[in-house]
Amino acid sequence: MLRQSFSGGIVIPNPHPVETVEIISAPLPNKVVLPLQQRIGDEASPCVKVGDKVLTGQVIAKTEDHFCVPIHASISGKVVAIDEHAIPHKSGLKSRCITIESDGKDQWVEHKGCGTDFLHCDQSTMIEYIQASGIVGLGGAGFPAHAKLEGIQDCHTLIINGTECEPGIMCDDALMQYYPREVIRGVEVLLHICGAQRAIIAVEDDKQEALNSLLMYCHNDRISIEQIPTKYTSGAEKLLVKVLLGIEIPSGGFAIDVGVVCQNVATTKAIFDAVVDNKPLISRIVTVTGSGVESPNNYEVRLGASFEHIVSMSNPNTNQHAIRMGGMMMGVDVESTHAPICKITNCIFVNNIEVKPSTQECIRCGQCNQACPVDLLPQQLYWYAKSENTDKAMDYNLADCIECRCCDYVCPSHIPLAEYFSFAKALHRKTTEDQYRTDIARERFEFREYRLERNNRERAEMMAAKKEELKKKMANDKAQKDKIAAAMARVKKAKKSK
Amino acid sequence: MMHSNTHNTNQMMRQVIYALTLGVVAAYYFFGWGVIVQIALAVVTAIAVESAFLSIRNRPIKPSISDGSAALSAILLAISIPSIAPWWIVVVGVAFAIIFGKQLYGGLGNNPFNPAMLGYAFLLVSYPLQMTTWASEFLSFSQSLDVIFNLTSVDSLSGATRLDDVKTQLALGGFISNLELHSTSQAWINLGFLLGGLYLLFRRIITWHIPAAFIAGIVVISSVLYFIDDQIYLPMQNHLMLGATMLGAFFIATDPVSGSTTPKGRLIYGFLMGVLVVVIRVFGGYPDGVAFAVLLMNMIVPLIDYYTQPKVFGK
Repeated sequence: MLRQSFSGGIVIPNPHPVETVEIISAPLPNKVVLPLQQRIGDEASPCVKVGDKVLTGQVIAKTEDHFCVPIHASISGKVVAIDEHAIPHKSGLKSRCITIESDGKDQWVEHKGCGTDFLHCDQSTMIEYIQASGIVGLGGAGFPAHAKLEGIQDCHTLIINGTECEPGIMCDDALMQYYPREVIRGVEVLLHICGAQRAIIAVEDDKQEALNSLLMYCHNDRISIEQIPTKYTSGAEKLLVKVLLGIEIPSGGFAIDVGVVCQNVATTKAIFDAVVDNKPLISRIVTVTGSGVESPNNYEVRLGASFEHIVSMSNPNTNQHAIRMGGMMMGVDVESTHAPICKITNCIFVNNIEVKPSTQECIRCGQCNQACPVDLLPQQLYWYAKSENTDKAMDYNLADCIECRCCDYVCPSHIPLAEYFSFAKALHRKTTEDQYRTDIARERFEFREYRLERNNRERAEMMAAKKEELKKKMANDKAQKDKIAAAMARVKKAKKSK
Repeated sequence: MMHSNTHNTNQMMRQVIYALTLGVVAAYYFFGWGVIVQIALAVVTAIAVESAFLSIRNRPIKPSISDGSAALSAILLAISIPSIAPWWIVVVGVAFAIIFGKQLYGGLGNNPFNPAMLGYAFLLVSYPLQMTTWASEFLSFSQSLDVIFNLTSVDSLSGATRLDDVKTQLALGGFISNLELHSTSQAWINLGFLLGGLYLLFRRIITWHIPAAFIAGIVVISSVLYFIDDQIYLPMQNHLMLGATMLGAFFIATDPVSGSTTPKGRLIYGFLMGVLVVVIRVFGGYPDGVAFAVLLMNMIVPLIDYYTQPKVFGK
């Protein structure tokens, strides 16, 4: 059944379609580079040294932070370096990574989970396995899966996100076609953990094969599979909930606030592996596509392998390329193909370098507000973001922008609107933080002033009191002295008169 | 990052210019070559003035000229003034529109007022005689040049517009039922702009909100007035098919830069503008009210936009 949709969003056909979606198993890489910094949380500290031999799936770094997941070796071999290495990140900065050279054997550590009759396991054990196996959101956000599942109360619906987040990405489509059993079983695991009555697997209406294969393996009344219109940003959690259930998650809130838990299909499959076998997440499916490759495809590849490792399998042409990780809309530009594949690398775009159309003035045509899936007015936000008037921009609900770049896409003047918005958000955070700091500093200063004044006053009062006392005492003393003198004088007088 | 390849700003401006063709052809058919000469004069002036100003402001000239916005403003102004107006009228008007209506605010995208209408209003208050004397018949190319460049007197070839005429007759104590309200030339020109406007809607260069609300505004207020007294107020269909109604509804009110941008705001903006057009025509001192209605509404756009923000997802 096709559901009613949200306003805005844009329909973009896959720019580099393929005839049949497949998954090609990439060969074991000779070496892997595993960053210690995950998407969210502290940097993990290594628990291996250079020269150590490691097995596939062995924990090589972890943090105390319960929110984070451990890092596993994705191949067996020898740790050859723990140093700075380029990672796929917007900043282009390097980060500390563990480099492992393969011994070619791919020997695994022992791992044992709940087994296939996992229903006898209790929820907390399952969540422990999920954390220990290093599962994070594989849709691109990289949010730790266990953190989303802990302490769930009142979850009525579990939503499994089988929509590709952006046009051109095919990895989830491929996964649903190749691993339907694992996905369905994974949904059962999640139903058990969340205590939800039902689960909905959302599949876009252009992925008929994926739908068919899921339907073939789905024999559970509590799980339904629904088609939704193929439209960009319907994969965003808030919008997906709206499309499927008609519920709007309140601004600033999360899915769980309305009793819904969302997980991506690839994450669901990884959760299945984690719970049943306690099998660590050491590989993922990555789409390689773009105008710079002849045969776009999906590859199942070990984490930490370089982009180059799979890009070379897609017959890249000899041109200079612009590399982008993630989708063509929200992805990040990566400097070279030497960056390692991480858990959030769902897609690698290899594009021929093109001349960007030059930016023109905003003519307020309003196409952006028609495209905005959360009903903002990007042209107004742009005006205030450009003039750094962040208060006014916040008035126009800047904070609700999901930075999906639909507005960029439709803008006839080619203005990078979303960049202005993320800049304005950062500026606002900074000014409010600065404001907060100044407020604190002022309060401290005022308190100090008050304290000093109070001390002075108290001291002065004390001194005054003491003085008074002294005066009294002196007066007293004088009176005493006078008395004594008088007595002495009397005595003298008496003696004389004798 | 990808961009949609359906529209870019230059193409949008060009599409609007193309869409004006039908109305311009109709005007040519009734008034002759003067229409075309005025447009040519206006465009040349606009490009010259814009280039000069951009160079004074140390801005790149070519991108701004090639976006077509100056040419579009010039054409809109040229269409609005009589085809037999002397050459300096259009030159002064376009120069004023480009300098005071656009460049002094910082160029395209920053002007609070519709430049063409600002130029028109300036001309109308400064040179009311030249701005209200219209050709009464088709003039050949040489006749048009003669008139525009002040070589022959215009008297024998000219007259007032129907709106002007009706206004004068009513002021002299005439009644609607005794007056000739129809004007074939005006009706055809309005029809031309209406069709051009529908083309813009079809190509999604403009949205339906402003034109529909504008026309609704005219229909509502003129019907109310006509209902009150059908002897001194024009019926609705004449308001729709006389003057600059269709040009205003589809080409002038829809100027995105100076107009409202929220969906609800556009309805309010268009409707009030339509009401103002009729109010100015009926109660004001000028024969047509589109220019002043547009400028007045431009002033309250920030207010409209602020109070008509759409409900944000999840709020």
